[in-house]
Amino acid sequence: MLKNTGVPTDDLIKSAYPNEARRKKGPFAVIECFQCIPCNPCQTACPRNAIFPMQDINDLPKTDFNKCNGCGICAFACPGQAIFMIDETYSKMDTLVSIPYEFVPLPNIGDIVIGLNREGKEVCSATVHSIKAPNLCDRTPLITLIVPKEWAMHVRFFKQRREDWSCECETKPASKSKNKSKYVCRCEEISEEDIKRLINQGHTTLNEIKIASRAGMGACQGRTCRQLIMSIIAKETGINPQDMPMVTFRPPTKPIKMSILAEED
Amino acid sequence: MSLITTLKTASVVIIGAGISGAAIAYELAKRGQKDIILIEKQYPSSGATGRCGAGVRMQWGTEMNCRLTKYCIERFENLQNELGDQYDLEFKQSGYLMCAATDKEFNQFKTNVALQNSLGIPSRIIDKYEAKQIIPHINTDHMIGGTFCPKDGHLNPFTTTLAYCAAAEKLGVEIQKYTSVVSIDKKRGKIVGVQTDKEYISTPIVVNAAGGYVSEIARMAGVELPLYSQRRQILVTEPVVPIQGPMFMGFVHNIYCQQTPHGSFIMGRGDDDEPKDLDISSGWNFMERQAKNVVKLLPALKDLNIIRQWSGLYNYSPDKQPIYDQIPNVEGMYLAAGYSGHGFMLGPVTGVAMTEMILGLDMTQDVSMLKFDRFEKGNLVIEPSVV
Repeated sequence: MLKNTGVPTDDLIKSAYPNEARRKKGPFAVIECFQCIPCNPCQTACPRNAIFPMQDINDLPKTDFNKCNGCGICAFACPGQAIFMIDETYSKMDTLVSIPYEFVPLPNIGDIVIGLNREGKEVCSATVHSIKAPNLCDRTPLITLIVPKEWAMHVRFFKQRREDWSCECETKPASKSKNKSKYVCRCEEISEEDIKRLINQGHTTLNEIKIASRAGMGACQGRTCRQLIMSIIAKETGINPQDMPMVTFRPPTKPIKMSILAEED
Repeated sequence: MSLITTLKTASVVIIGAGISGAAIAYELAKRGQKDIILIEKQYPSSGATGRCGAGVRMQWGTEMNCRLTKYCIERFENLQNELGDQYDLEFKQSGYLMCAATDKEFNQFKTNVALQNSLGIPSRIIDKYEAKQIIPHINTDHMIGGTFCPKDGHLNPFTTTLAYCAAAEKLGVEIQKYTSVVSIDKKRGKIVGVQTDKEYISTPIVVNAAGGYVSEIARMAGVELPLYSQRRQILVTEPVVPIQGPMFMGFVHNIYCQQTPHGSFIMGRGDDDEPKDLDISSGWNFMERQAKNVVKLLPALKDLNIIRQWSGLYNYSPDKQPIYDQIPNVEGMYLAAGYSGHGFMLGPVTGVAMTEMILGLDMTQDVSMLKFDRFEKGNLVIEPSVV
């Protein structure tokens, strides 16, 4: 189901939750990350080391709920917006669900919003309880919603009602950020500035940028950076991404150990 | 439809911006040649050059190959200075360890080292114990001895080609990327022009440096070449801390494997059952064959993750040595091809030899044994040390 629709099964979701006893103790992070990809910012971001060290960058993150206090820093760091903070101790009827939200305008505290489930379907109303947008959120504020208990396992996004939109867009988080050396290719640590410089030198296709800089040659083989680089090329040159020559996709589809292939008969 | 076509002239049109075409363009321009156009179907190093293992060695079994590669390595030692620092060539000179698996191979290597030493190449015969000191993770159970030359090495094939191109452009060479040659125009046995998919270029000289596609280009001038292309496959692992300085190579064991300065391991093999055409897709069984072989010979690499395999074209001549020549009976048509897997390391001498041939200058290196008609005359160059 996950592979076909992008929506995890109930069993997978339950596997990301702590046990009953821990749930009654206060806020915790739920990491809804179920596909092995080369990604680990959550693990390195956590100030309490509450995400177990990964053997391999492709491993799924696993939370140590004894250490996690639901602070939300891992959710700021997660590029996939797959991490949510849950506080089931808020009230008898309601649970607090904190959701990473990268749209403007941000809602206001007290707004009534429409809670959406993982498929994007409207499921209930929710109230904006608080907004966390510190500098370290890197333009991914966390919006905490008061969600009826029966929907707390399901609401993972929300829609603002149009009448709540104010004309003055609240874009503070974006303008605060200084955009210093944003990595586009994380595997090979190639920044947006590097890519722009190469485009200015005449390397205007994915392949040319790749051979001149190694962007896309790392463990993820371009899965993470390919589209980012295409969008930078589009911005810098005006070329439509549809008209850009694609790179070749090659085996293996994910990194594989020599020993696994060597042992096979 | 407009009948007006742009008429462009060039003194030399070079086809193919791999290491060969780029080096030829640069060397010609360096000697003052004007109006050079370098045509590339995709982008520099997109063909065999950018797909190769990019090792450079002087450990050969013929006088010619030892001499030419020694010249090339001496050029590589100064190439970063010569071409400028826009691109890091990542030149690493930590040697090639050639692994002898049989008495026959070891005896051949001993003969080779005597020849190499007589030409000033600092190679030496090593035993298993010394091999283990040079590459500690070698499994010496599968070798009886070997040879080592500390001056052999590796470069980044992309940046080396890009650096040649950038230096050539600075000297006035026009590089046309994403441009295909459609036909080659001859009049009374002489080259007069090249038609690309963009324009017609009048030129008295065409240099065919199209790598795996030389035969297709030659056919446009009515010439059949005794060359064929064959797929070769290669893979790269994730980067790790430096643990292997030299290239590890064995002919009987059918392997080359080196760690790049960047940290990744690049390794490949030659399989006889590869298709002899222009196929550069990825085969299903290469990765497994390669992993089995490398884990047997260099067991420590078993824990490395393979992140990509790819393939490129070797362009073979009947004696597996290049052709540097003007095509007989087609005045102005030059050929630099048939490297049979060694075009990258021969890049500097390709540039210099073809330039001197075209301009009628004294030859820095004698390449007269690499003429086109040697196959008809039976003067083949037989090199015992090829993968």
